[in-house]
Amino acid sequence: MRTSEVTALPVVTLAGDDVAQVKDIAFSGDGGAVAGFTLAGRGLFSGPLKTGLLWSKVVGLGPDAVMITDESALDPVDDVRGAAASADGSGSGGNVLGDQVLTDGGTDLGRVVDVIVQFDNGSSACDVVGYEIEASEHLAAKVSNASNGTRLLVPLPDTLAVSGEHLMVPASAEGFVSGDLAGFGAAVSAFRAQLGTPGEGV
Amino acid sequence: MQWSQLKGRKVVSTATADNVGKVSGFVLDPATRSVVALVLKKTESGSVVRWGDLLAVGTDAVTVADTTVIVEPDETLEALAGKRGAVLKKLVLDDAGQALGKVTDLDLDPDTGSLRELLLDGRTVTGDRLLGVGSYAVVVRTD
Repeated sequence: MRTSEVTALPVVTLAGDDVAQVKDIAFSGDGGAVAGFTLAGRGLFSGPLKTGLLWSKVVGLGPDAVMITDESALDPVDDVRGAAASADGSGSGGNVLGDQVLTDGGTDLGRVVDVIVQFDNGSSACDVVGYEIEASEHLAAKVSNASNGTRLLVPLPDTLAVSGEHLMVPASAEGFVSGDLAGFGAAVSAFRAQLGTPGEGV
Repeated sequence: MQWSQLKGRKVVSTATADNVGKVSGFVLDPATRSVVALVLKKTESGSVVRWGDLLAVGTDAVTVADTTVIVEPDETLEALAGKRGAVLKKLVLDDAGQALGKVTDLDLDPDTGSLRELLLDGRTVTGDRLLGVGSYAVVVRTD
């Protein structure tokens, strides 16, 4: 699912109470997984909370809510920020929106507008599997029904280099660009299999 | 037995054969997945009757021994009743964070009051999947 769809989702306990809503998503230092969420209070005028939610405490993430066992699953927001910072202090903290996606061959594929995450119930991590980009002219020319600025999905390898400005993907990622989320999981698996990294089933 | 059929049914005392009230609501305990009390209106005194104090839930009337079992809710019932404990029209979420719809009706076991099914628009959820009822949603286990 797109991370923009996660923002503002209610955080609901298994007892049925909405204790917070997602304010922002914190990615782990290498940008490869969701570390947790910062939270805001429920309601139009409530501000940010001092508590956050680590991914390890999430019971379920769906289109309509983030589920937790109870309120004790919430931790101080600094713990979430700590989990998001990479061990050596480098990395962009996962803020990739607006970054230019470059292949290792030096071709511009477009700019990141959204992050696609995937997690299977039972797996431990919420993996970042791709980015939604506004296609560059070069990429649009290669994809049918696409023009400059069309939103396309680019699969990611398990790990990749991210700076504040650029995001490097293997040139072969171009071949696995997909137009909609429905077939994207398969494209990610195929792409990762081709790279020789363990892919994830959908 | 569906809640919509039970609602509005008269409550009759077997001691005096008088109408002593009318069923207007219920109190569901998510922990036991059963209705623990009925909320009554048009009573002389008190507003709830515990399920265990009912003599019978018949097709035409609910019978009680006498009016002494119609009481004011204690703290436990008070906590389960109210808006937070209400089930009807509330959103149903599964534990994977997916909304299933809104509760339109309940199917109850007329003997024990246990919840057999939650009825949603176009689908049903068995009572044993119920995890909790809160201010925001009714939470059920993923199928």
